[in-house]
Amino acid sequence: MSPRNDVVLAGERLTKYFGGSPALKDVSFRVEQGEILGLIGPNGAGKTTLLNVISGILTPSAGRVLFQDRDITGMRPHAIARLGVARVLQTPRPFLSMTVLENVEVGALFGGRDRRGKTSTAVDQAEFALRLMGLHDKRDHPVGSLNLQEKKMVELGRALAMGPEVTLIDEAMSGLNPAEIEDSMRLIQRVRDELKVTIVWVEHVMKAIMGAAERVMVLNYGQVIAGGSPGEVARDEGGSRGRTGSCPCSGT
Amino acid sequence: MARYATLLLVGVILALVPLTTGGSPYYSRITTLMLVLMVYAVAFNMLFGHTKQLFLCLGALAGSSAYLSVVLTRELGLSPWATIPLGILVAGFLGGLFSYVSVRRGLGVIFLGVVTLAFSLIFYNLVLGLRELTNGETGIVTQGLGAGILEGPRSSYYMLFALLMIALVLYSALMSSRVGVAFRALSDDELTAELAGIDVTRYKVIAATVGSLLMGAGGAFYAYYTGLISPALFSLISVDIVVLITLVFGGMGSLVGPVLGGAAVTVIDELVRPFGQLNVLVYGALLIVLFLAFRGGLVAVLRKTAKLPIP
Amino acid sequence: MVPILIDGIVYGLQLSLLAVGITLIYGLGGVLNLAHGQFAVVAGVAAALLMGNGMGAAPASFLGVAAAGIFGLLIDRSLLVPAYRYRGEERLLLGLVLTLGLSFVIDGYLNLSHPNVSLTIRLPMPSLTVLGITIRSAAVVTSLLAILAFGLLFLFLRGTLLGKAIRSIIQNEVGAELCGISPSRTRTLIVALSGLLAGLAGVAQGLFSSLGTEMGVEFTILALIVAVVGGVRSINGTFVAGILLGVVNALASYYMGAYVTLIILLGAAMLTILIRPSGLLAYWT
Repeated sequence: MSPRNDVVLAGERLTKYFGGSPALKDVSFRVEQGEILGLIGPNGAGKTTLLNVISGILTPSAGRVLFQDRDITGMRPHAIARLGVARVLQTPRPFLSMTVLENVEVGALFGGRDRRGKTSTAVDQAEFALRLMGLHDKRDHPVGSLNLQEKKMVELGRALAMGPEVTLIDEAMSGLNPAEIEDSMRLIQRVRDELKVTIVWVEHVMKAIMGAAERVMVLNYGQVIAGGSPGEVARDEGGSRGRTGSCPCSGT
Repeated sequence: MARYATLLLVGVILALVPLTTGGSPYYSRITTLMLVLMVYAVAFNMLFGHTKQLFLCLGALAGSSAYLSVVLTRELGLSPWATIPLGILVAGFLGGLFSYVSVRRGLGVIFLGVVTLAFSLIFYNLVLGLRELTNGETGIVTQGLGAGILEGPRSSYYMLFALLMIALVLYSALMSSRVGVAFRALSDDELTAELAGIDVTRYKVIAATVGSLLMGAGGAFYAYYTGLISPALFSLISVDIVVLITLVFGGMGSLVGPVLGGAAVTVIDELVRPFGQLNVLVYGALLIVLFLAFRGGLVAVLRKTAKLPIP
Repeated sequence: MVPILIDGIVYGLQLSLLAVGITLIYGLGGVLNLAHGQFAVVAGVAAALLMGNGMGAAPASFLGVAAAGIFGLLIDRSLLVPAYRYRGEERLLLGLVLTLGLSFVIDGYLNLSHPNVSLTIRLPMPSLTVLGITIRSAAVVTSLLAILAFGLLFLFLRGTLLGKAIRSIIQNEVGAELCGISPSRTRTLIVALSGLLAGLAGVAQGLFSSLGTEMGVEFTILALIVAVVGGVRSINGTFVAGILLGVVNALASYYMGAYVTLIILLGAAMLTILIRPSGLLAYWT
């Protein structure tokens, strides 16, 4: 329905202070419908803070967050999640008393707006998400028995079971081996292509993000210092090394 | 389904108890008080067992409801049938308020514990201080509600039995709805729950309000049953601590935990009674040993030995 | 006005002294000690028994405080061991139940074996007059004791290597372990220290008026409230919270009197927690 280039999520001059120093300063951005936006920068650059501000975990000191032209600044996380902005945390924090399926089902039950156009139950939505994640075989396992990558997939599955417009992913790759990185990267692209979910993706693993994202935004010291296609940003990076210092975001 | 089958079983067993005690007024009183304790424990299970809200004002909530109803009835000549619901609502409102404020202020478990502890002591001292209304430590004489309700041992037992069953049915209904899923999720991880679209504040306030309403109902029924209410009946030691032990001993977060715990604590209380002065010591030692020996409470032990998924 | 404030500060110092042990154990061990007030009672009863056998007040008090310290050490090495196997909320819950049980055991035992023992220490000179203000000498002695105890505690935590280690564990138990600091030994030390401080508070109570075997619960509740108002992890916070509540108490009892005082004190505690949920000094330390 909506053509590409519609702005689905935007930040306007977002600023966040912790004590005296700003973790974010005048950060403005736009995310277009259906794109994968990569968010990169060294440790402490404010990437996770930005995601926390978007998903309502933190309230910005100044600035606004707009989702589908609606001001969502200061709304609580569950309300933002229900509107259609899902969040995947960097370290998985699953519901440990539940099975894999139950974990994902919670997302469908509470955050759920059915994106697949037919009325389906929370279980159906959860099973659909689990198939996509390749975890359907383990649906009845206690979630604590999974390995790190699987747990990350459960978190992503729960987010997708909510039927979001936008998914904010924080470091999907950290702690994974090269084969797992390859799998996860493909999966994130598939999610975008098949479910038409817009993705904002914070990542340290440069290879993954440069391969999968259409656009990249670089944060440092809480400010946007560069943006554009991965190719452009990579060229800029080469030219302005001195500015970002020794960028530790050059991982494998 | 297992939930309702268990409920039926619990109902049948408890309904038969008065037949086993014969006409003994002593045992009739003990078993009726056991039901009050079970109601309290069901309430605390929602607060602490499911949503990790450590309320240390259980006695004060029950007492607020009881005193409000009894004092209004006495001073203004209102019917207890009007003041009991009012008392229960006030208890529910107070509990909901504590919960709301604590969630929105981001209070951890200990901070909520101490805020409610302070409320508990305030209540106790208010009752002592407002002597003209409450008779201070002496207390107020109460009587049943007329027409055989909360009058006479057997009728009182079945009134409290009815209250307990209402509490358990309410609990089961909540737990098998999406509220139950939300409780489980938020007691596992509040942030993840919130990010999955669960309004954590709302569900915690629901748990606190329902739990406090139950405390209020238990307190009011108890007040009219027992014949004399005094602040000591609603103190931290005589309610909060005992209910905590009951729940921990029976098994937190389960349907039958409060019932098993209530029965066990009542039996232990009887066994320890002959020791007189020693019973505080024995209670303490038991608390330590039992909690170390089986963390999951009696329910966990039963589940293991009977190999049944007891709810 | 000045005498009221002095009264408040004197009482506040006692409250801080009583509460700081809760803060230490919670900060370092992640356990909220619900038997803390009973530690104070143990010291008082030990001192009273020694005095009953003809010992002088000073050595008896000293030994009483030492007894509370040793008691703390034993509890840490026995009762609390199962709690330390867990972390975070699990440990907190287990610790709550275990120390609650312990408080019953102590109360039950003392009421049974020493029902009529109480500690009252009389000083040779009942009051002093400084700059025209008459103060009870007990108030002066207990305040000096509290100030001395806090002074030594601060010196220990800021000035010694062990103190720095302790502060590092309060911030991060796992991190400290990785740096070669043994959390379990430091914890034992802290629980013993906390016992000593509680014991001192118990003896101070004996100096002030009198300490009976049944006062444990009351002490624990007071200490808990003060520690939590102070933020439960901050020693400075506990100190300030004690003084604050002491002054509130003195003002309220002067202007209101009787039961309203306690209600105002508790209301003040509730309000402080709600206004500053992370403690009085959250932004300063």
